[in-house]
Amino acid sequence: MIAKSEINMFLNRAPHFDDITCSLKSTARQPKAMLKETRELVALARKFKEEVMKPLTLEMDRTMQKDPDYLPWEFVKKANDWGFYTLWIPRIFGGKGYNAPSMSYFLEELGSECLGLSNVIGVHYLAVVTTFASWNIRLINQLCREVAEGQRTGKPCLLSLAITEPGAGTDVEEVELVDQGNVSCKATKVEGGYSISGTKVFISSGHISRWHIVICYEDLKKPSDTMMIVAVKTGSKGFSFGKKEHKMGVKVCPASELVFDDCFVPDDLVLMNKKQNLAMRRTTKQTCCQIIDYVVSASRAGVAAWGTAAARGAFECALDYALKTEVNGKLLVNHEWAQAMLAEMYKNVAVSRLTYAETNYANGLYGMYKSIQFKPVFYYFKYVPQIIIDNIIDPILKLNITTWLFRKIQLDGQTDQEFHRTSGWGSLAKFSGTDAGVKNCHMALEMMGQDGLRQNNRAEKMLRDAKLLQIYEGTNQLNRINLFKCLVASGHSDVRVFEHE
Amino acid sequence: MNSQKETTVITREQDVVELDQTPASLPSEKIEAKAEPKKESKTAHRKPVPRTSKKELGMLAKSASEFAKKQLAPDREENDKFPFGPYFDHVLEKAFGVDFFHILLPENMNGMNQGLSALSVTLDNICQEDSSLGGVMFTTAAAQELMFAAGAGSEVEKIASKTNVNEFVIGLPVFNNPSEVKHIAQYKKAGDTYTLSGDLGYMVLGGMAKQALIPASRLGSSKFSYFLVDLTQSGVMKSEPILSLGLHACPAVDLTLSNARGILIGEEGNGAVYFEKMADRMHVAAAAMSLGIMKGSFKEAFDYAKKREQGGHTIINWSEVKMLLSNMAIKITNAEMILERACKAVDSHEPRWEARSRAAALHIQEMACELTTDGIQLLGGVGYMKDFGQEKRFRDAKHVQALLGIAPVKKIKFIEKMI
Repeated sequence: MIAKSEINMFLNRAPHFDDITCSLKSTARQPKAMLKETRELVALARKFKEEVMKPLTLEMDRTMQKDPDYLPWEFVKKANDWGFYTLWIPRIFGGKGYNAPSMSYFLEELGSECLGLSNVIGVHYLAVVTTFASWNIRLINQLCREVAEGQRTGKPCLLSLAITEPGAGTDVEEVELVDQGNVSCKATKVEGGYSISGTKVFISSGHISRWHIVICYEDLKKPSDTMMIVAVKTGSKGFSFGKKEHKMGVKVCPASELVFDDCFVPDDLVLMNKKQNLAMRRTTKQTCCQIIDYVVSASRAGVAAWGTAAARGAFECALDYALKTEVNGKLLVNHEWAQAMLAEMYKNVAVSRLTYAETNYANGLYGMYKSIQFKPVFYYFKYVPQIIIDNIIDPILKLNITTWLFRKIQLDGQTDQEFHRTSGWGSLAKFSGTDAGVKNCHMALEMMGQDGLRQNNRAEKMLRDAKLLQIYEGTNQLNRINLFKCLVASGHSDVRVFEHE
Repeated sequence: MNSQKETTVITREQDVVELDQTPASLPSEKIEAKAEPKKESKTAHRKPVPRTSKKELGMLAKSASEFAKKQLAPDREENDKFPFGPYFDHVLEKAFGVDFFHILLPENMNGMNQGLSALSVTLDNICQEDSSLGGVMFTTAAAQELMFAAGAGSEVEKIASKTNVNEFVIGLPVFNNPSEVKHIAQYKKAGDTYTLSGDLGYMVLGGMAKQALIPASRLGSSKFSYFLVDLTQSGVMKSEPILSLGLHACPAVDLTLSNARGILIGEEGNGAVYFEKMADRMHVAAAAMSLGIMKGSFKEAFDYAKKREQGGHTIINWSEVKMLLSNMAIKITNAEMILERACKAVDSHEPRWEARSRAAALHIQEMACELTTDGIQLLGGVGYMKDFGQEKRFRDAKHVQALLGIAPVKKIKFIEKMI
């Protein structure tokens, strides 16, 4: 029928077989316990949604419209008490160690009630993921254990990720653009560390975070070659909060300006820089690109989950309305056109969910989650006794050689094709899910007419919230080009992306 | 404002003709012949409406544009804070002073005696900067139109004589067609007196207007009637202003009525007919609001794209951005052509003018929702913030789409009228 030698030849043709079969390939490899964990977390999210979020969602949105400078400390404390800031931190770093893909389902559950409150939990992990992308095990261990300690003591310790700058939004999300961009957050080497100066904007959860994972550059003219990632603690000398943005939606999750004015960052708070990169097989620019792809491949699955959540929240609003409202003398839900609209909305939810699931499969096979979802590692980390973690593993994690080893496995061990695959899927999920979210919100409002316009009916809030998803974590326009770059252009030598015309 | 006298004459009687009695081939003379005679006094009728010349429309557009730039644009974000910030009464008074609320009124009611083309061109220019004022103008004009459709011109005339804007504007639940979703009160009749009770949700301008048109039905009846109700009487309770998606400075309240006295508008049980007649004409005005929002969004995005740099170049020079801007510009150009043509059809009572009015609105409102989404997108993060007008336009476009009823139901109704 077909010779064995021909199989690879045909499968390597576009679309590459491995690009389009992540879920198929994953089913046999994934630890079964992941399903059990995910079931448990979805149930937990539903419980939290019922008991904590539902009474707060509309009230907090209204409060924020009245007083845009309000900060949601009460909710952060509640989420911390429920243990949400350590759920996806591996046990060896002091967390609860749930599998990473389960986060998407969890965030979808919470986001279908309120994207803002779900963000207050989720963006913490965006920063956590960035620390992991550096594979600086010693510092990851330090930061994660402080988060765990914050949960134990009831004093929340959140992390934020600071990338965007006033003059550089899309540019800093894409290595191909950053060298032509207008970046300004500069790191200058001083004795014992670095001095950071510059401003970061639109930093989600900035004002409520204790640690800020900051992207800065040693040479502003060569940012891709000199990118570094540092951790800055709230209260550090030279660091201050600027204004809190007044947004259309997702109001409860603050978007902050972070100001660095000769802010000293000691060497031991540098997650990654050019010097550390010397031990890697790729150039700094390539590693920089790889790290960004590591982060966005995971984080964009999360944003897609929020897009799914928006689509689902809007669908649920519309369905609820259709079930109890008479239009032209009969229940809206019994009009065939309304049933078709609701079916379309349901489809948007389901398809969006499939895209983030597929992205997570890709990350498990080729990206961020590859080593921790490897069955022996997964089960060892899951069941290793705490006493061994504290007395044996923790001291090992503090050794430089551990960082070196993880970087060899996770960074050097990943092929370009693999990180293109995860990044491409991250982008696909991101713009598919978020476009579907906005689309469903539009449809819900159209179905609900006058009643959809009222804040206390929730649908209009869903639309205001959902719109942000098309913008942050790389605009959907950038993500389309990234998908093209990763999943289409890589098979064609003549194709160039981000080329100015 | 002067009007040309030699143009097409449309009498109020024409408005009585049912939409489904107006086949495309039916000449306007026949429509006029079929109209029922009115029993109202002379002042109850709108005088002949002359067609507004291009020059006059240009002057109106200029006047509205200057007003919008001077009075609305500088405080757009502040005015949008209502109900958590002060209301822009002073702007409303100025708009009232320059007769923006008098455009459709006949000259004998201190009006401009203009048609929908004139109202639309004004709304278009106002809404480029801030559609909340457009919402107030639209609501008042819709209430006036509804009363004219019911032959209650004399009530319009009484209100039109008021010199205070709050006494002049009229509340109307303009985002709901009471035939579709029964957001209506109940009424009782005792002799010549009508009293209304029950809840009436989302009364636009209900918090500020002295009076409102309230749909209500008699117990056991499926039909509803409109009543002019003095909102200052003791039988009317108002909620706090409703926090809504857009048009924050065109606020609504929920009303609770307890034996509130009302004046019957037109005939009992004919509310649905009057609403449809009003809606036939006012759909183009709603479309004009959407067009204005589109133009404002495009201008902001276009200006920003010429200044903002990413990847070492102004973003307008990236072809993906060009494509987005081009799609916006094409939508606006098409919407302009559609609206101008639809307004002409309405003002001239061309065959199927009602269908053209509604089709224009349904299409342009949809385009406005798409366009304002891209309008934010082109500004990236700042487009989502309150500092620019883009997020407000996005909200307002969606809000305006709900004018005169549920969008998909309006579409279904459109084809049902053709079947």
